[in-house]
This record gives sequence, structure tokens and C-alpha cells, in this order.
Amino acid sequence: MRALASSLRCFGARQPLGAVGAAIVAVLVATAVFAPALAPHGPKEAVFTPYLAPSPEFPFGTDHLGRDQLSRVIWGARLSLYVGLVSVVFGVTLGGLWGVVTGYFGGAADNASQRIVDVLMALPPIILALSLMAALGQSMNNVVLALAILLAPTAARTLRALALSIKESPFVEAARAVGCSHWRVIVLHVLPNTLAAYIVLLTVNIAYAIVVEASLSFLGLGAPPDEPSWGAMLNAGAQAIEAAPWMFLFPGLAISLTVLGLNLVGDAIRDLTDPRLRGGLG
Amino acid sequence: MRAVRRISVFLAVVLLVGLGAGGGATQEKPRYGGVLTWFDYGDPGRLDVHAESPLVVQQATAGIWSGLLHWDPDDPAKITGDLAERWRASPDGKTYTFELRKGVKWHDGQPFSAADVKATFDRILNPEFKSPKCGASLKPMVASLEVLDRYTVRFRLKAPVVSFLGAIASAWCRVAAKHVLEKYGDLDRPEAQIGTGPFKFKRYERGNLIEWEKNRDYFVPGLPYLDGVKQYILVGAPTQLAAAKVGRVMLWDTWPPMRKTQVAELARARGNEIDTYQWPVNAIYAIYMNVQKPPFSNPDLRRAVNLAVDRQELVEKALEGAGVPCAILDPKLVGDFALPFEEVAKIAGCRQPKDQDIAEAKRLVEKHYPNGIDVEFAVRAVGNYLDRAQLLVGQLTRIGIRGTIKSYESAAGYAAFGKGDFTLIATQDRGMNSTDPGDVFHLVYTTEAGSNYARWSDPKVDDLAARALRESNRERRKQLYWELQRHILSDAPGAVAVGWVEGWFFRDKRVINYKPAKTAYDNNTFMKVSLRE
Repeated sequence: MRALASSLRCFGARQPLGAVGAAIVAVLVATAVFAPALAPHGPKEAVFTPYLAPSPEFPFGTDHLGRDQLSRVIWGARLSLYVGLVSVVFGVTLGGLWGVVTGYFGGAADNASQRIVDVLMALPPIILALSLMAALGQSMNNVVLALAILLAPTAARTLRALALSIKESPFVEAARAVGCSHWRVIVLHVLPNTLAAYIVLLTVNIAYAIVVEASLSFLGLGAPPDEPSWGAMLNAGAQAIEAAPWMFLFPGLAISLTVLGLNLVGDAIRDLTDPRLRGGLG
Repeated sequence: MRAVRRISVFLAVVLLVGLGAGGGATQEKPRYGGVLTWFDYGDPGRLDVHAESPLVVQQATAGIWSGLLHWDPDDPAKITGDLAERWRASPDGKTYTFELRKGVKWHDGQPFSAADVKATFDRILNPEFKSPKCGASLKPMVASLEVLDRYTVRFRLKAPVVSFLGAIASAWCRVAAKHVLEKYGDLDRPEAQIGTGPFKFKRYERGNLIEWEKNRDYFVPGLPYLDGVKQYILVGAPTQLAAAKVGRVMLWDTWPPMRKTQVAELARARGNEIDTYQWPVNAIYAIYMNVQKPPFSNPDLRRAVNLAVDRQELVEKALEGAGVPCAILDPKLVGDFALPFEEVAKIAGCRQPKDQDIAEAKRLVEKHYPNGIDVEFAVRAVGNYLDRAQLLVGQLTRIGIRGTIKSYESAAGYAAFGKGDFTLIATQDRGMNSTDPGDVFHLVYTTEAGSNYARWSDPKVDDLAARALRESNRERRKQLYWELQRHILSDAPGAVAVGWVEGWFFRDKRVINYKPAKTAYDNNTFMKVSLRE
């Protein structure tokens, strides 16, 4: 416990902005986990007067259907975190494995797979996500799937580049020389050396996934309409931006703070894992 | 004395001239030229005005077509001739003879004749042909149609029907060309939009734009004034409002109406450049349950929904109070044909507070599903339907019906509803063809109703609706409609009437001589509309 506290202090001292980001993310995670206890009302309970301005009873006001905005923002954290984490873990992991394996073996399969990556990366991300949602239909799991498909090519391209460099390393040559199979080399030598990049990809892309989910929901193709998604709340707020600006303000702030926190943490992790920056050269 | 008389005559002449000049000043002279910009709330997809029912189809094609009769653009409460110059009813009220205009040309230059009228109504009245608007109104009335000569047609009715001319004047009963129907088989495609109306169909870019251009051979001399009409397809209230705020659209006169908060925002943005007004849309807001599929094949479950739906809350929140809750007929539109509201407000399901009805609804659900039941709520993602669906999910959760919302693009939703591919439609407004009290029953509630998505069939409803349609005595007709309303409100109908929709609209002050019609479908041809400089 003392060691953990010491590590955190050390992290805070070396990466103060990262520490701020970590605090924001910690609040987000706590809000998501304890949403049922924290939210004063059900997120779908439309039992109050619509368009109530923020007050002690409703700190974030009520929306156009008479739902408590604070409760919806709190439950929205859970939805955003779920979509962000699951889609990124799923997409970056599969994309990363795809890039490492094809990069390691090279040849025609690698060439073909990179052309697929080229095609997927050539499409504007939001257009690709919209097309996938239109084809898959509106549900939380389909949002996760669409985001994973969106994220996989970047992960594949990044980790493939790393795998190409690692496979030429002396320790890989040594492993091959003592008779290790290709798969053993990949699992025991290549993949562990891509871990730092993998973690950076994870942290950076969670924020990206949350923003894309919010964008999809804003456009009406993300989470199902009755789910308390921050993007959908922004959409509802946009319809009453003058009459009830709080409908727009609070979900917008939640998205901004979350993305800021995740980006700060991502930057800090990148800095800590980059040997050039770790030595204070950056 | 003679001098006094001369002075009196002089003063009278001066007064008359003065009054004439003053009257002339209020009637602004129309100006030729300009393009009116407007919007559709969704993409129409198919354009067949006889076979489709969405308002966007009507809007997309309104200026292309003419009818035998139409609602007068100068006085939208009055029926006037369009392709028919004169018409007369037989003394027994069972036949109507229409004399057609001569010299009318289709947009492709072919001459118009009675054969086109015959081909049109034979199509609409064909029992095999699904015509949810015009056909749904006319099929219960018309027995046959015959051509008397090249410019005369005669309708024979099954019985005298007082609302026949109103039905014929509907914007859905437009006359199509026989040669076009023979060539294309239907009117779905843009190239089949060959009418006799004031505008020609110019362009349809899916999901983006519909454009008409002036028909220079229009049969009414001097009309239209506009060079064309552009309809932007704007899905989503924020986009529609933004377009109105920057003056990209000049008119917001149909569905979906604006909400109070939106019209206030628009008025602040446009100031005295626009006129805003509240207007009934002449549409019923209903919830449909598919009676051919469980769980709503069970009348107990339908009765439970009928009891549990809080119409007052839905109208208050979803329509911001702009509507008439519980009404199957809107007294503002049909007067005393509507069941007195004092009586409606006491009927189970409509009465407030709801505690007793919710308890009974819960009991009915528990009787068949002790642990409650999960149901998919289908809804078209247009207007504020998604908001309405969310409110309904909340209301029905109280009685153990747990809803998940499945949203559809506009045309895809209609296709699914038409095929019966749903369990419950969370909300769907159905516009009336006319202000006749019988419309709603023949569009929503009878077995053969064009929008009977629920596939509900109740012999008592069919019988009462048919008798009321043929009843010429006003008082007896009223009693039949009252009985119908009582029966539907207190039974287990396939369609639960939430209420009648009203809302706010605007007109850019550049638009001259546009008068809102009694229904959302009429007076959208813009034949007499012009634009200020």
C-alpha cells in the first residue's frame, strides 16, 4: 500500500498534468461504477416538469421530457466508459494482433492485409462509423462493434511497424537460432515488446471512442434513444439551446472533461514509456 | 335640393373610389419569378401518390398533380373545380357527373381526357391495389366509374354519401395519365411524375433535394407565379430550425409542427421577417399494437395499454401542450361530431388521476405475464417521435411492459408497419384527408382502413362507420359517431388514440397569398403563391 502511494506520488511529481488527468479519470470511473447510488433519480424517469433550470433540487436542471439531467449525466458516464473501454480493448487488441502477426511473417499476406488497412483508413472515420451503424442497426453492442472496426486498422498499422523492427532485433535472431518456433517468438519476444505502445494506444483511443460514440448518438445512430448517452443529450440540448442551455452545457462539459482527462493520462503514459522522454531529453 | 343630391352623389363616388383603392392596397399584386424554398421532414423514397401515405410523398409531388376538384387555395375551406369545370349530383345523391376541362396537356405534351380519370380511379378503387389514403376514403363510397364521353365521367356511389366531394377533392386523389401508368406500372419513380399541375418535376436527389419547375403550359392562364419550388430534405429538428433561422426555408406549414420553445427561438432570430401562428395539423397521434402477434393478440394486454397510457402527460410533454388529449375526433375540427370532452374525460384510460387505471392495467398484465414482459417499441426517427417513444416506455414500464426502442428511417418504418413487421408502434401521427368526421375511422379503425397497421378488426366498428358514412341526417350521423368513439375508447382497440396534434408554424413575409389548409396535405401546390422582391 505504501509502495503504491509512493508510486503515485512519484507519478504526480514527474507528470503533474498526468496526475490531474488520472484524477479526472478516477472520478469518471467512480461515477460510472457507483451510478445507481450516486444518481438521485432514475435516468429514464420522466416525471418532473420539463425545462426546469438548475436549482438545489435539480443541480443540472431537467430536460425537455422532465428527466433529471444530473442523473442522466451520471448514468451517461457508465455508458461512455463501457463503450470506450470495451470497444478499444476489443479493437486495439484484435487490430494489434493482426498487425504484429502479418508484419512478422511478411510476404503476400502482409501486403494484402496492409491494402485492407489502407482502404479502411482512407474512409473518413465518422462516415465509416455511420455506415456501419446503418448496416448493423442501433444497439449498444453494435456501437462497440462499429468502434472496434474503426480502431483496429490504426492499431494494426502502428504495431505492425513495431513488429517489423523487433523481428530484426538480435534477441529475436538468437531465439530463432536456438530453434524457437515462429509462434513462440511472437508470443514470448515480439508481443511483450509492443506492450508499451499497446497501452498508449489503449489510453489515447478510449477518449477517441467516447467522442465517436457521442457523435454517433448526436446524429441519432449511436446508443438506443432512451439510453442516457451524452451525445444524445447534446442532440436534445441542441433543440433548445436558447430556452434551456443547461441541457447542452452539462453533457458537453462531461464529454470535454472526460476527453481531457483521458488525453492527459495518455500523454503521461506515452512520456513515461518513451525512453527518449523518460531520460528528460524531450 | 338638387345641389344637396349632387353633393351626396359626389361624396358617395369619392367614398367608393376611396374604399376601392384601400381594398386594392390590401390585395398585394402577385409578382412573377422567384423560387420558393421549403422542406420535407424525411426522404419520401417512393413517390406514388396513390399508393403511399407519408406526408413527404404528398409534399414531394403536390405541385405536379391536379385533381378533379381541390380545396380552393384562396379559401381552403371551400371545394372548387380543378380538372373538372362543372359537376352535379343526381337527385338521389347516388351519382356524380363531372365535366372536364378541355385543352389540358400532360407535362409530356399528351392531351388529357376522361380516359385518364377512368384509369386513375380504376387503379385506386381496385380491391387488389393498396391505396391507404385516397383508396381508403373512396372504396367504401364508390361502386363504379364510367366514361360518358371524352370529357365527362360519372361516379356511381354505393349509397348517398355527404362527404364524397370532400374525399374526391383530397390531395391524395390526384389524376394520373393513363399512358404513364401503362408505361411505368406505378408512380414510384421521378420519371413517372408527369402530371397536369402548375409545376413539373425537375429533380430528386435522394436524401437531399426535390425540385419543381414552372409548367408554362398550365391550364390556368397566368399561373403559376413562381419559377420553381425547392424542397430540402431536412431530417431532425435542429437542422430544420437552423434552416428556418437563417432564412433557408421560407415556409414551415406542415408536419412536424414547431414546439413553443422552437418558435420563440425562431421569432427571436428572424424578428419581423416572419409571421408565426398556431394551427391544428388535423392529425391523430396514435399508438398501434399488432393484434396478430403476441402479446397484443390478447385483448387483455391491449386493454392494459389503453388504460395505462397517460394521454395528458404525452400531450403536455411531447407536444408542449399543443394538442387535444384523448380525443378520437377533435372538436376544433369537426365540432359536435366529437364526443363531448366532459364525457371523454371520465372514460377509463382518459380519466385523471390515473392510479385506478394503472392498477387495473398492471393486474391485466400480471394475469398473463407475472414477471412482466419485454416488448420492442418500433418508431420512425422523424419529428419528435423518439421523445414520444421514450415517454411511452416510461409509462408502460409502470404496468410491467418493458420497452426497448427500435428506430427506423422514415420510409423503412412505413414499409415495416405496412407488412405488420412490428409488435408495437410507439407513436404515429395520421393526417386526415379532409375535415369529415368519418375520415379517422376509415383511415385508422375499420378493418379495411388504410392505416390500420394494428390489423384490428371489430365488426361493430365496421358497421357503425359504414352506417355513419351513409347517414344523411346530421343528428343521427352525430349519434353514430358518438357511439363509435365511446366503443373505441372503452374497448381494447388496436390503436390507442393519444390525441390530436397542434403546433406552431411560420411563414416568411416574402411569401404572398399562401393560406394554410385544413389538412396538412392540401394547398401545397403553390399554384397561386408568389414572392416579394
